[in-house]
Amino acid sequence: MKRAIIAMAGIATACAATYPVPVQRMADAQSARRSAVELGANNLPDAQLYLKLSEEEIAKANVLLKENENRRADFMLIRAKADGELAVAIARAKKSEAEEKQSLDQQKLRAKTIPFQGAR
Amino acid sequence: MKRATTIGVSLLFFAACAATAPKELLNARTAYNQASAGPAADANPAGLHSAKESLDAAEDSFSKHGATQETNDIAYVAGRRAQIAEANAREVQAIQRKEQQIAQASAAQGEQLQQTSADLERAKTQLGATHQQLADERQRREEAERQAAAALAAFATVKQEPRGMVITLSGSVLFASNKAELLPSARVKLNEVADALTKQDPKAKIIVEGNTDSQGSAPYNQELSRRRAESVRNYIVSRGFSADRIQARGNGLTNPIADNKSPEGRANNRRVEIVVQPVGAAQ
Repeated sequence: MKRAIIAMAGIATACAATYPVPVQRMADAQSARRSAVELGANNLPDAQLYLKLSEEEIAKANVLLKENENRRADFMLIRAKADGELAVAIARAKKSEAEEKQSLDQQKLRAKTIPFQGAR
Repeated sequence: MKRATTIGVSLLFFAACAATAPKELLNARTAYNQASAGPAADANPAGLHSAKESLDAAEDSFSKHGATQETNDIAYVAGRRAQIAEANAREVQAIQRKEQQIAQASAAQGEQLQQTSADLERAKTQLGATHQQLADERQRREEAERQAAAALAAFATVKQEPRGMVITLSGSVLFASNKAELLPSARVKLNEVADALTKQDPKAKIIVEGNTDSQGSAPYNQELSRRRAESVRNYIVSRGFSADRIQARGNGLTNPIADNKSPEGRANNRRVEIVVQPVGAAQ
């Protein structure tokens, strides 16, 4: 029994050691986080939550990588990337909606200030 | 019995699995349902499809492996894919609405520009017509003035002075000695004067001034000159000239234009002057 447990522990350690370090996944997650920051997600309450989650997940992944938990770190980074991308998508949507409103306001203002309108 | 037990255990297992679906998977299902019922169906079908594939992968993992950590992670990502699809759809819709607004505004501006151009063209045409009318009117007036001046020249003198155009008629042509009633021959001549005055600027004002020589008393001459001026004024009004634009006054012997010592000088001083004041001139 003792031998079996030792064998299983050995296999588990080998598996952890053989799972590659998720370098690309880390780069993707950090890239998504940076994009969200650049789009102002920090200042948008809807997007801020997901940016924060992404940052926390990247931090957790770093801890897992130090513990040689590459597989867990990889999946944590998948979450981090998804949260970062969601923060980006929300920030972009908010930006477009703000631009739409600004355009509408400008057109309303222009309609009010054009002297010929309604004076025919 | 053994088979029934196996089936029962299996059912219990599946029921347990169904009941213990991880919250990540439940959230993913909710997020996908929300996204597919929202704008993503029309505005971002590709993103919604991708979210569906992620959700299917999570369901597959759950059915094969149960609520493992990996299943949870896959489901978590599937939920995010659905939310991303929805956010992207909102972005696309906002962009489309903005473009639509700009296109509508541009069309309205184009229409307005066309209308303004048409208005401007009409105004130009009207202005041109008005200019032509004014030119025609000026030409007619100048011609009338020329004809009137030519007609008047036969029995009157016309001079341009600071107080206006002054038409001087000899008293002997208009009145008998010491009388203020117009001679019949004078009426014919005054007809031409009245016609000429009627054709003048319709806003011009006229003063008829009677003047005498120095023979006789000043009060008598003052009264005679006033009555003569009144006679001329009344006659011109009777010819159609507006009464409120013509005044009469007597100067008596106070404004001689020649020496009263000679008969010729006195004849020149006995006169009626018709002063056509320029528009806006002080009385």
